[in-house]
Order: sequence, then C-alpha cells, then structure tokens
Amino acid sequence: MERITFHPILGPQRIEREPVSFTFNGRKLTGLQGEPIAAALLASGIRTLRRHEESGTARALYCAIGHCMECRLNVEGRGKVRSCLTPLEEGMRITEGQQLPNEITGRKLQ
Amino acid sequence: MNCSSMIICRCEEVTLVQLEAAYEAGCRTSRQLKMKTRAAMGACQGRVCKQLLETWIIAKNPASPRDPELLPYRPPVRPVTFGQLAKGDV
Amino acid sequence: MTKTPAYDLLIIGAGPAGLSAAAAAAEHGLGVAVLDEFTEPGGRMLGQFHEEKGRWWVGRRVAEQLIEKCSVLGVDIRCGVSVHGMLRTDHSWVVRSASGSISAARVLLATGAAEIPQPIPGWTLPGVMSIGAAQVMANVHYVKPGRRGLIIGVNVLAMAIARELSVSGVTIAGIVLPERNSVSGQDALPEEAVKRLLNLAHLAPSPLLRIGGKLGARLGMAGTLSRIFPRDGMKIWGIPLQLRTAAISINGQHHVESVTLADVTIAGEIIPGSKREVQVDFVALAGGLYPLAELAAVAGCPFVYAKELGGHIPLHNENMQTPVKGLYVAGNITGIESALVAMAQGRVAAAAICRDAGVLGKGLEHTLDEATDHVRRVRAAALIQFHSGIPDAREQLYKKREEKAWM
Repeated sequence: MERITFHPILGPQRIEREPVSFTFNGRKLTGLQGEPIAAALLASGIRTLRRHEESGTARALYCAIGHCMECRLNVEGRGKVRSCLTPLEEGMRITEGQQLPNEITGRKLQ
Repeated sequence: MNCSSMIICRCEEVTLVQLEAAYEAGCRTSRQLKMKTRAAMGACQGRVCKQLLETWIIAKNPASPRDPELLPYRPPVRPVTFGQLAKGDV
Repeated sequence: MTKTPAYDLLIIGAGPAGLSAAAAAAEHGLGVAVLDEFTEPGGRMLGQFHEEKGRWWVGRRVAEQLIEKCSVLGVDIRCGVSVHGMLRTDHSWVVRSASGSISAARVLLATGAAEIPQPIPGWTLPGVMSIGAAQVMANVHYVKPGRRGLIIGVNVLAMAIARELSVSGVTIAGIVLPERNSVSGQDALPEEAVKRLLNLAHLAPSPLLRIGGKLGARLGMAGTLSRIFPRDGMKIWGIPLQLRTAAISINGQHHVESVTLADVTIAGEIIPGSKREVQVDFVALAGGLYPLAELAAVAGCPFVYAKELGGHIPLHNENMQTPVKGLYVAGNITGIESALVAMAQGRVAAAAICRDAGVLGKGLEHTLDEATDHVRRVRAAALIQFHSGIPDAREQLYKKREEKAWM
C-alpha cells in the first residue's frame, strides 16, 4: 500500500527513519527502521500476517494497537511478537504464523 | 455467505450457529457460553468479542446479569514467556 | 524490611490522560514514570485531528507539548512496555511487565479504550480492520490502509475518522450501516444512526444537516429525518454517507475484493432486488469504544455499569480515586469521552495523588477543586460527544460516592 510521504495536515512523519532490509517468508523486502513490522509489510503490499492455527485461514492486521493479537508472527531470535507493536530492524528474518497440527483430528503439519 | 456461520469470536472461530447451539443446550449467561464454546478463551482473551457475547446473550435472555465477573480478566493480561516469569520480581 | 518503591507514581498509559497527569504530578515534585505498550507516547491522540472554528486541532501537536513538558520535568516515559499484572505488597504496588517489575507508591491507570467490533460476514478477511486501525496506520505510521475503502458503522467515531482518512488522501467509497443481525442491534437502524449523527451536526458542512441537526435534536425528529434521507445517500466532506444502505457481506478469496450492499427500510430490512457489489480493497468497521479496564480488575477494583460511558467502568469518584488504596484512574478508562476531557481528568488525578501523598502543601488545597471544575467545563464545551447522556451519567456516578466513605 502507498506510503503517505507528506500529510496535508500532519506534515512530514514525526521521526525520520532510515531504510532497512529484512525478509518475510524468505522474501527480501525493505522498510523503515523502527516502524512497526506490520506497517512495513503493509507498505510492501503484504496483508496476510498469519494462518489461523486451526482453520488455516489467512489473518491480518485488525486493531493495530496490540489488543487483538491477530498480527502475531515470528521474528527469528525473538519468538512470537505482535507485529503492530514491534519495531522493524535491519536484517530481521520474519515468518508468518502457520496452521498447526491437530492431535485430535489427526491433521499433520502442512 | 450465510449470516449464521458468521464468526463472533475471531480467535477461536466461534460462530453464531455455535452460540445458538450452546443456548439450545442451556447456556444462559456469557460465562456459560464461554465455557461451552471457547468464545473469549483465545489469544485476545475476549478483548474483541466480549462486548458481542454480552450483547447477544442479553438480547436472547434479558434476565442475564450484566456482571463483569462473568467474563473476568485474570493476570497475565498480556503475553509473557515462562523465561520472563522465571526472572522473578525486582 | 520494606524497600522504598522506585517511583512515587507509576502511570500506565502514555495518552492524553497519562501524560497530563505525569506532568502535573512531576510539577509538585513527585518521582513519576509512565509505561505504554505502543511504540511511541501520545496514545490514540497521535492519530487524531479535526476542524473546529475554522482551524485544525491536531492531536499530535498537543502530544508533543505534553511529552516535552514531561521530559523537562524528569518524567521517565517507557514505551514498548506491556504490563501484564499488578499486585499490592506492604505499602506499595508491584507492576509486572514483560521487561521486569517496577514498584511504586501509587498507580494511575490511564489505559484508555478498546474498540467494540461491528462484525459482518467475511470480517476476518485480510483488509478488514477496525476503524481505529485505519486511523493509526494512516496518521501515525503514514501507510495507507488501502487504495479504496468502505466504512461500515455510522457513529461519531466513524464520521470523524472518515474525514481524517479522506484528508490523508485515502479514497473512501462510502459509509454504510451494518446489516441487521443478532449483534448489530440498534446500529443497523437508520433512525438510530441519525440520532447519533445529531451529536455531530455542528461539524457538518452541509447546511441542511446542520439545520436538520439542530431541529432534529430539539423536536425529536430523527425518525422523520431518516425517512426523508435520500436513498442514494448524501455527500459529507465529499464522502457518500448512505444511511439507507447496509453491508451484507465482505467478499474475497485471500483478501478483501468487494462488499455486497443492499438498500434497507427504516426498520433495517433488506429491500429485495437492491443487492449490489462495491469494489474496495479495505474495510474499516466502526462499532464504538469501551473502557479498557483489565488492570483495574486485576488490581481488585469494583466495577459499575454505565451504558452512556461505554459499559463496565472501574468505580471511582470525581477526584479520580478508586476504592482501592493507592489506585487512581483517568481518561477513557473512566468512560468514553475525548482527549480534552482525558487531559483534564489527568490533572484531577494528579492533584488527588499529590494531596494524598502530602505534597500539595499549604495554599494549594484548592488545586483539586479547580481541577474537577475544569473537567466539568471542558465536558460542557465538547465539540464531539460520543453519547448525549454523558453529563447526567457522570453526575449519577459521582453523586453516589462520598469521598470520606473511602480511605
């Protein structure tokens, strides 16, 4: 999705950020240092952040302020984080959360 | 899409159909709905769906009490790892 | 041995209430820290802006001033910190977060509000978000939520944010009602929507709505107004406001592609043959706000239900004190109002805390009374009212609580 480079009322972004590279599901992308991971992904046109653990349906940003937990994904070395609250850093290796196996129904890891 | 298969609890994917079935099975308060369907038991702990469950059950059963203890908040109210807990207090 | 708490006052939430309380308390010499789980301080006010009396009120500017004031006064503001619990030990609080525990003599909860959802079939699709999320992404993170969006839910929040998004350069295809189902209740009725909009009538650029608004409110004409409301809707700030149209389902394979709309009667019933699809790539759902008071519950604070204030709120008096010793509240956690009221309440809480801590000193006893008077004035002057019954609800709530009954 388009970034807003200059806002007619708010002016330029409050903090000037350096571009950084990172990977999402192995794909190399660029974002801005310190912006929430979810914002960097959205700016790259990526909405899906995780697959529902049981149904596998695609899930994305919903509340953007850390309440709903929908945006949770994996950052290598940090485990599972809320991507709407976690600042992006250079070299981060990020992957979407996956549908899990189910012992009761017998579904194996895809 | 059929309205009744609409999801109410996003985390546990509990639908209106499941809430109706729980009501048929005798659930009359938001707490009973939670226990029967797992609504409000998922990752967000009811932050998103609590209001919907209350609205729904009060519409079905106006005698259902408006008591915040029916769907309470228990610590930890934000994600924390065992490692962080093990570090202990200041 | 009792350890001295690290801070005299720990504030949870760095929004307008928390920051203004921090500055006021620090001015009286208290050691203050503010925690917030968001990436930067300022709370939801960071993303808010609106027009009043021909000028733009910009939340971010107000936040910057408060943050600067706090910095000068030595307030410790820590962002990216999520509080998961709190408990009382001896004469102080231990507040637990993922990055460790912090002790404080007194705690102020200023955690604000969370959104009430407006579920529509298909609402879990990527591209569907809460109206607040659209505001945060556009105005705080400077990323557009999408190219063309639809807003579902007609209320004060939806209208204010629709305006902001449009000014921010995001195309809004329309603002429509949710379909009538077992959780949308009154939200799906055109007449109720008109009633809610009457609280905003003074902001509408259209003279018809402005006049209609004043008239409607005085004569109780919400029903008539919704009947004569044009079926195609009417443009407000260039955005189609469609009070006779409901969203039936949100469609798409892997993400939002379109929304199915239908015309509705005054009773919210779908008019057969009117279904159509509108192509959008994001949907923002507006269902209202409720006080986010989890920590008050964890701390053992009793609650009271007040519909006009957004639901279950922590019990408190006009001085922002709760029945729990050393626990105070301010801002939207006390009931949904506005950033201006939140800031005024923050100052009340700080005055009460300073008085309880014995640092208010001679000649400053009036500070608390002045602060509570100020809240009432700010409330009366509020341009945007979420609910018309707020002043009465507050009066009811505070009338019952005598300060001497506690502590």
